[in-house]
Amino acid sequence: MSKISRRDLLQYIGAGGVGAVGGVLYGESVQRNVELLIPQVVPPDDYSPGVASWYNTVCNQCSAGCGISVRIREGKAKKIEGNPVHPVSQGRTCARGQAGLNALYNPDRIRTPLQNAGQRGSGSFEEISWGDALATVGSRLGRLKIENNASRVRLLTGRVRGRLDELFAQFMGLLGSDHYQQYDFTYPSALMAANKTSYGTDVLPYYDIKNATFVLSFGADYLGTWISPVHHSLAYGHLRHGQEGRRGKTVQIEPRMSLTGASADEWIPARPGTEGLLALGIAHALVSDGRYQGSDRDEWSTALAAFSPARVSAETEVSDDKISQLAREFGASAASLAIAGGAAAAGTNAVASVVAVNALNHIAGNLGKPGGVIFNSEQAFSSAAASRPAGHQGVLDLTEAMEAGDVEVLLVHDANPVYALPENVRFQQALQNVPLIVALSSFPDETTEMADLILPTNTYLESWGDDVPDPGVGFPVASISQPVVAPLYDTLSAGDIVLSLARQIGGELPIRMRWGTMEEFIRDRWREEYNKRESAGEAQEFEAFWQASLEAGVWGQPGADSGGNSVPSTSSTIASIANPVSMFAGGESDYPLVLHPYLTATFLDGRGANLPWLQELPDPMTSVVYGSWAELNPATAAEMGIKDGDVLEISSPTGTVRVPALTFPAIRPDVVAMPIGQGHKGYGRYAGDRGANPIHVVANQIDTQSGELAWAATRVKIKRTGEKLQIIKTDGVTRTLGRQILAPKNDHG
Amino acid sequence: MSTFVEKLRSYRKPGYYDEFDYHWTMTIDLDRCTGCEACVVACQAENNLPIVGEERFAQSREIKWIRIERYWEGEYPNVKMGFIPMLCQQCDDAPCETACPVYATYHNQDGLNTQIYNRCIGTRTCAVYCPYEVRYFNWFTYTWDEPLEQQLNPDVSVREKGVMEKCTFCIQRIRIAKDNAKDDDERRVRDGEVVPACVQSCPTEAMVFGNSKDPGSKVSKMMKNPRGYKVLEELNTSPSIVYLTKAHS
Amino acid sequence: MFDHGQPSYAEVNKDVLATMLETGPKYWILLGTTMGVAGICFFMPWFYQLIVGVGAAGMNRNAVWGTYLSNFIFWIGLSHSGTLLSAVLHITNSPWRKAIYRSAEAMTLFSLMTAALFVMVHVGRVWFVHWSFPIPNQMGLWPNFRSPLMFDVMAITTYLTASSIFIYMGSVPDFAAVRDASTGLRRRLYTIFSFGWRGTAREWHTLGWAYTFFAVFVVPLAVSVHSIVSWDFALSIVPGLHHTIFAPYFVCGAIYSGTAGIVTVMYCLRKFLHFEKYIGQVHLDSLGKLLIALSLIWSYINILELFSSWYGGTSFELEALKFRLIGFYAPLYWEMILFCAFVPLLMLSKKIRWSWNKMLVISILINIGMLTERFIIVATSQPRKFLPDAFGFYFPSWIEISITIGSFAIFATLFLIFIKWVPSISIYEVKETLKPLRRDA
Ligand SMILES: Nc1nc2c(c(=O)[nH]1)N[C@H]1C(S)=C(S)[C@@H](COP(=O)(O)OP(=O)(O)OC[C@H]3O[C@@H](n4cnc5c(=O)[nH]c(N)nc54)[C@H](O)[C@@H]3O)O[C@H]1N2
Ligand code: SF4
Ligand code: SF4
Ligand code: SF4
Ligand code: SF4
Ligand code: SF4
Repeated sequence: MSKISRRDLLQYIGAGGVGAVGGVLYGESVQRNVELLIPQVVPPDDYSPGVASWYNTVCNQCSAGCGISVRIREGKAKKIEGNPVHPVSQGRTCARGQAGLNALYNPDRIRTPLQNAGQRGSGSFEEISWGDALATVGSRLGRLKIENNASRVRLLTGRVRGRLDELFAQFMGLLGSDHYQQYDFTYPSALMAANKTSYGTDVLPYYDIKNATFVLSFGADYLGTWISPVHHSLAYGHLRHGQEGRRGKTVQIEPRMSLTGASADEWIPARPGTEGLLALGIAHALVSDGRYQGSDRDEWSTALAAFSPARVSAETEVSDDKISQLAREFGASAASLAIAGGAAAAGTNAVASVVAVNALNHIAGNLGKPGGVIFNSEQAFSSAAASRPAGHQGVLDLTEAMEAGDVEVLLVHDANPVYALPENVRFQQALQNVPLIVALSSFPDETTEMADLILPTNTYLESWGDDVPDPGVGFPVASISQPVVAPLYDTLSAGDIVLSLARQIGGELPIRMRWGTMEEFIRDRWREEYNKRESAGEAQEFEAFWQASLEAGVWGQPGADSGGNSVPSTSSTIASIANPVSMFAGGESDYPLVLHPYLTATFLDGRGANLPWLQELPDPMTSVVYGSWAELNPATAAEMGIKDGDVLEISSPTGTVRVPALTFPAIRPDVVAMPIGQGHKGYGRYAGDRGANPIHVVANQIDTQSGELAWAATRVKIKRTGEKLQIIKTDGVTRTLGRQILAPKNDHG
Repeated sequence: MSTFVEKLRSYRKPGYYDEFDYHWTMTIDLDRCTGCEACVVACQAENNLPIVGEERFAQSREIKWIRIERYWEGEYPNVKMGFIPMLCQQCDDAPCETACPVYATYHNQDGLNTQIYNRCIGTRTCAVYCPYEVRYFNWFTYTWDEPLEQQLNPDVSVREKGVMEKCTFCIQRIRIAKDNAKDDDERRVRDGEVVPACVQSCPTEAMVFGNSKDPGSKVSKMMKNPRGYKVLEELNTSPSIVYLTKAHS
Repeated sequence: MFDHGQPSYAEVNKDVLATMLETGPKYWILLGTTMGVAGICFFMPWFYQLIVGVGAAGMNRNAVWGTYLSNFIFWIGLSHSGTLLSAVLHITNSPWRKAIYRSAEAMTLFSLMTAALFVMVHVGRVWFVHWSFPIPNQMGLWPNFRSPLMFDVMAITTYLTASSIFIYMGSVPDFAAVRDASTGLRRRLYTIFSFGWRGTAREWHTLGWAYTFFAVFVVPLAVSVHSIVSWDFALSIVPGLHHTIFAPYFVCGAIYSGTAGIVTVMYCLRKFLHFEKYIGQVHLDSLGKLLIALSLIWSYINILELFSSWYGGTSFELEALKFRLIGFYAPLYWEMILFCAFVPLLMLSKKIRWSWNKMLVISILINIGMLTERFIIVATSQPRKFLPDAFGFYFPSWIEISITIGSFAIFATLFLIFIKWVPSISIYEVKETLKPLRRDA
């Protein structure tokens, strides 16, 4: 757990800029498009020319919730760094976090409200005023509410936490629709579902990589894309050399080497879809070795009887020696930790696989102890952390409803399902049945393009909000988002749009949602929380607390107990042990290769593709920029006569994409891997029209237990098209040729 | 004339640079580095590196003062990947410095290999001579799509076509720290007061930066690590970057 | 010595001066063409490059030096033999030099100028190129004398100055001859050019003495110039460039290509200025033998270079060697070996050595090979340095190719202008070689 004392927080508060200025700047945004002929002869009081100030807020490039500090000079954001007192990021950021400036100053931002001026999806829009835009939506929603038809209104958002989530929920509730759902491709839905099975609670536990000595990851790219990469990376650094005389070991099990696999001491390419089975094999070895001494030892023996290393070895293609060795190390390590994620948690057996990995943690006694799995159900602000599922089932329901004509108004905020769903979900086609699509978005994208009305939103660097990191960090923490610069354009934050719509609709909505602005709302809620904790809360004191929190960007109680560290009910875990082998779409004879789509450290699920710094950032594993590719084992490529740059046609039972081939030394010969993130059709100039989106050819199969998309369970066949494409990469030769580069001596042959 | 000769001799005296206060040094622990490239974007942001565009990237005209090199070892399935962040090594015996006909790149008293954009005439000799290939040339004058130029760091100049550039160890941050230290009763810069952008961002804390003249600094301690080595040490360029090689559990 | 019978003194004057005083439309067409090609192929692309940046050329991160620099070496190389050969032959008193040395020296001058142009084309900010001159700036900052590029600036300017003086000095009596044969403005001009030369014994004596002095002075200079150019490369530690053999290698290559260049120029003078009387088989034969000798030395040094790379056994040198011999640019390498090491052996046959047409072809092939050699040095070393991750390729862009073609037109233009302003054969020295048989002039 991170060590941040109150004193650190307070020290930082002293050093920080004037956080409340955000509010002043925000207020100024009402007067838009003022151009000064003689700029800043008398500078505004909140900044001195030539002097940089730092404002703390929250990164929104993924759902990790890292605290960031933004350097401001002359009212412009210049640099994003980690907020040193924030327990998630501890002063660090990932590449995507740094690139937030490219989002703020993106040339493709939507600058005014727009309405569709042609056929839907044609991409031609005309400007309208905020008044007209809000009135159009407000009156439509108001009418549906009066007609008692509000359930025909749906709200679909990306991953939203904190008060904005509360505001959305309240708005939809007051409107009379219970159809508010989130969709985020990266959301670890299967993990939540499995935790429900294993532990009886669907929280995301805290994986204490920092204090672990042996991390066994089944497919979770925890250093690159999984849940909280910056936090995990900090922990990883500590695991390696944070403690004198100790170096933690990591093992990665996945069919294609990820960033995390590259850093691991051992990389084990088990057969795709059998990762859970491998976990059970290891569990079997642990129990039969006599390492497990729990009272339910016999029950475990029985449950695991069918998973002897010899049998598991045949199916996983991991030798039984290796399985025994892993079991030995896992059992003997001072603090071992097993993690499941990525493709291992994205088969038709996702939940079963994760449950198997959970069982491993249980058997090795890793639950609730340092270096293991820590449950911190007690969150800072209980309501704010409410985990709203952001998975697949919700969008499938929505699609069905749209197809059935049950949706009259669809509000979409910060989500791009047209891009991020398999084509055979037919989401885009279903949109045609919706009479009014309203997009709340900062950028044009594939979904926004389908909208009738676009309400342009502030980026996160121009918005008020708050966040409670999930999973927590072991003690109660909440972060504040504040505008670090005045909105650049005629845009509003999503929260303010919702509040404005509430006023438009009238009735009880503006009475119950009484806040004039999102800022007011956040303040109000924080006051409530403050009062709850500090029983004698006087207004004066809250003001000081608020200022301090704004300046620090985060409020936390490092000393406080992390809450009920619930011990899982093992019986249900044992009961749910089953042969977790994934079923693949497509027969092996017709479709000989398994498609392995993976999130990239640069674009994540594609949301980073419109940021030029990320487009120009070499992919960490291949060094490719500006495009996508399909990775093949050199042996597979040689067998099929495929060379780097040969354009392949990759067909699944449900679709086809075309991408250039790239041989990759660390991938199973029966797997073809494709990065997710490119292949955008309407996501601005930098995302361009480059590469292909593998999600589109993923068959719409679901995990049988959770209903989540089994995005790693599709087989494909590949064909050379005869075309060639230049793959732009920075790598020359990727062998050291015996030179003294990675080590002091020539130990590379 | 004689003073000129004396001056020249004093510069050439071994240990001349030891007389100065600072020797900025970096250590990079390859056993922590995950190749995440946060440092690459951090440097791009801090130092106003241009966005060169797809076409020019395809022609190998990219500009990255720090890049991650990747080396494979072995064959499937026993294949391993080694990442190594490569940036100017701030060599004490820098081949690039003797190359430059106009002193656009020279050694300063803090042990830095500096690059004076205004003085550079673009012969590119320094880039040929640099064994680490960390010098990047402005083949064009790059512009930013409006309003991306608003993110440019006012502390760092924007380079024009025809000029060589490379990692400066974020000299603007060193200057600010020195100015502050000077204003603060003319004291020395304290350990940890200068943090280059790449070091600042690194999520695994693989990089450590500081003054190796100060035996108490973190970087001095890291340099003593038995895993420490310098890349291509046999070339005798005396780099200021010490890498710590990967360890095994 | 003279293939077509010995001319009279008057004939010499008449023949040579005719090339200057009688200008037909052919000349103007030719001059127009070369100037046009120079403008379109050299200056227009250069202008474009000045506007967009050196990125207009194909150079990139893998090879920041490209054809501009390899052409620079080529032209510097071509400049050898002119002045050098002339000086050496003057010192050794070889009579066959006299008919050809003026054009050869002019070649030196013009190829040096062309080479200097390539420096301008090469650098990123040519508008600041004067910073590399040994003049302190307003802050008392001098250029860096440790830089081999600075050595270059000094060596080339010295060489250019000395060669200019050398050729000028040798031309003074001939300028007087032009003065005496012309009228009007031209006469006034050549009066100035010839410094009032009257042909007194004292004048002849002084000229002879000064000329010999410069001849002795120019020889080491020429050797040093290409040695220093080679240090631009050899003083780096780049595998494939960091060779001690580079200085003699470059000097030998320079004389080699320069001598071949002289054969080409001689052919043209004979052909177009009808100097058959003065430039004969003896010249061709001597140059052919010289070329054979040079090609053998050149081949020897090449083998030596390969050997020491291989013998060193470091990964760096071996990779550079491999890349050169069988890598991407290998066809160019073997083309060079064919043209520079094998084709010249044909000249062992006297029949070939005595054939103007065959010798023309061989001399051009040698220079194509030498042009390639310089490209290979630049393009096969940089993309294979120390860090394999940074290995790459470099292809010249059409701008570089066009500028390369244009440079030949610049050279030709300068030469065409030269033949109208300076007697392209030394009148007085040719006369010295005439046997005083007839006294009709
Ligand atoms: N607002 C405003 N603008 C002005 C003027 C004004 O009065 N007000 N005046 C105008 C006039 S007259 C002028 S001359 C210009 C001056 O404009 P600038 O030339 O920009 O002058 P400064 O801001 O004084 O210094 C520029 C930078 O040089 C850095 N610096 C200091 N010492 C050194 C050094 O030794 N080496 C290097 N490389 N950098 C160093 C400083 O930290 C600073 O960041 O501004 C003009 N513009
Ligand atoms: S992990 Fe990176 S993208 Fe995600 S919140 Fe943290 S800094 Fe932002
Ligand atoms: S790494 Fe290269 S650029 Fe940097 S000091 Fe050394 S030689 Fe010069
Ligand atoms: S490119 Fe610039 S810095 Fe490099 S050697 Fe030439 S003038 Fe000097
Ligand atoms: S030290 Fe500064 S300039 Fe150098 S690579 Fe790091 S961020 Fe870039
Ligand atoms: S930020 Fe740190 S861990 Fe990431 S690539 Fe750079 S040095 Fe390595």
